[in-house]
Amino acid sequence: MGDIAVATGKVAKATSVARRAEPASRLGMATAGVLLVYYTIVFLIPFGVAIWLSFENWNFIDNHVFVGFANYTRALRDPYFWKALKITVLFSAVELAVTVPLSIFIAYLLSKVKGVPQRVLLAIYYLPVMIPTVVTVLLWQLLYLPTGGLVNGIFSALGLPQQLFLQSPNQALWSVTAMIIWAEIGGGIVLFLAGITTIPASLLEAAQLDGAGLWRQFRHVVLPYLRPIIFYQVVVSVIALVQMFTQFQLMNGPDFSTRTLAVYSYELGFQSDDLGLGAAVSVFIFILLFAATLAQLLRYKSIWED
Amino acid sequence: MAYRHAVSRSRLVGLGPALLVLLGAAAAFLPLLWFVFSAFKTRADILAVPVHLLPRKWTVKGFADLLSQTQLGRAYINSVILALMTLASVLFTSSLGGFVFARLRFPGRQAVFALVLGTTMVPFLTLLIPLYLVVAKMGLVDTYVGVWLPTAVSSFGIFLCRQYITTIPKDFYEAAKLDGANDFQIYWRIVVPLIRPVLAVLAVFNFLASFNNYLWPLVVLDDQKLYPLPLELAQMSQTLGITNYETVIAGALLTAVPGVVIFIALQRHILQGLNIGGVKG
Repeated sequence: MGDIAVATGKVAKATSVARRAEPASRLGMATAGVLLVYYTIVFLIPFGVAIWLSFENWNFIDNHVFVGFANYTRALRDPYFWKALKITVLFSAVELAVTVPLSIFIAYLLSKVKGVPQRVLLAIYYLPVMIPTVVTVLLWQLLYLPTGGLVNGIFSALGLPQQLFLQSPNQALWSVTAMIIWAEIGGGIVLFLAGITTIPASLLEAAQLDGAGLWRQFRHVVLPYLRPIIFYQVVVSVIALVQMFTQFQLMNGPDFSTRTLAVYSYELGFQSDDLGLGAAVSVFIFILLFAATLAQLLRYKSIWED
Repeated sequence: MAYRHAVSRSRLVGLGPALLVLLGAAAAFLPLLWFVFSAFKTRADILAVPVHLLPRKWTVKGFADLLSQTQLGRAYINSVILALMTLASVLFTSSLGGFVFARLRFPGRQAVFALVLGTTMVPFLTLLIPLYLVVAKMGLVDTYVGVWLPTAVSSFGIFLCRQYITTIPKDFYEAAKLDGANDFQIYWRIVVPLIRPVLAVLAVFNFLASFNNYLWPLVVLDDQKLYPLPLELAQMSQTLGITNYETVIAGALLTAVPGVVIFIALQRHILQGLNIGGVKG
């Protein structure tokens, strides 16, 4: 008996020594090396160049000139920059303020519908997410046509006055926002529904026995339970919303009324050939999103260290 | 008795939410329905007032014009080629990177993995202008490789695979190791088959993302022969524009087909797969 114990002890010790002495994996080094080269090309160099360019004046052709913080001060004095910033922040805030509560609410209602009907309804809500953005844009450009568009058609059937939508400087941004809510809400619903289905049934039953109706169960059980998922969804959404490009570039409303920072930075770089200012605006987007991207990174970190 | 009462009450309570949620789904579905039917309408019918859903006269003129007057077919081929390139490289690098960072020991492992995750700190928009300069310097403007390059590796994919692979017990490959299998054989014969579900989810989402890509191809492509679907469609709607609604709608509909077909076929996996990245785990 004792011999066996000693023997297995020895073996265990031997393997742990072997593990410690394991040579560095060549496959590991090769893979990491390739990744390092790849990310140097598509990430490290471009990021460095972005910061460097933001201190330069360049138009693709002439020699570039170091201008210090001039591009940043130019941006801060540029009314179009402020307009783009305002549009970006306003749009993102409104989109979130509508989408998050609405998707939680729909997910909660869906959680009360079980089985096949639930799956079919969920699929319908999610379907727009699967449609390419350019297609969504074309579709809604038609829906929003002042004459003959479906939205005004429904408005007139309801006795509401006809609107200009994308052709009005006051309505264009909110018309695009409504489209984006329609296109994106399915993602939130799927996420929140998955969260709700993990709520222990006993929690909801206890609330039910206490006489809590659907609304109070929602407020006091479901919402607190979902808080981490809500936080995650807000973080991920902010990062995506601030960077949204296709919709705003293709549905450009009158008077720059839908020109976000993303579109402005693109236009400065590739249409006005003002690379320095374009880079400064793009670095500003990085700063604007820093808290959100940091939260996302910390979340990755907390998962991998689990 | 009390239990049965509770059940029937909760069924009754379920009716109101079901109706609400049905109404919402109908509202969400209506634009898509209008779109599909409009592809089979005549030009005048599409925007006729008062608005109506079903075509007065069914026609496939939009689709016919699409074939004879546009290059959507070419754009389709471009999109498929680009998506397959992305898919191949993303699946390979994600699974291999995931395995390497999860299970192998080598110097610099932590640092490179930190770099992989660190890339998620910088918005793509911040990299856009310099990335164009880099790709131009490499002579890759107006090439498939130039379009593919920024999407070739997915840091999220590597992260996801790494998470999944750490949950596989080490015993699975200790035996293979004793049999003399090298690291790559272990990766290829043991790890890849085990993480197939994650790879399937990655495949679907990267395929769709590649099909949806607009901004980067817009920057890096001048030659319209290389345009993928979103660029071609946007271009088409500008040139055919106001006069040829039926053609544009037909083209848009065909552009949406792959995503919708994939979704209907793999609905369960997609809706569950979303939560791999979402709900903690």
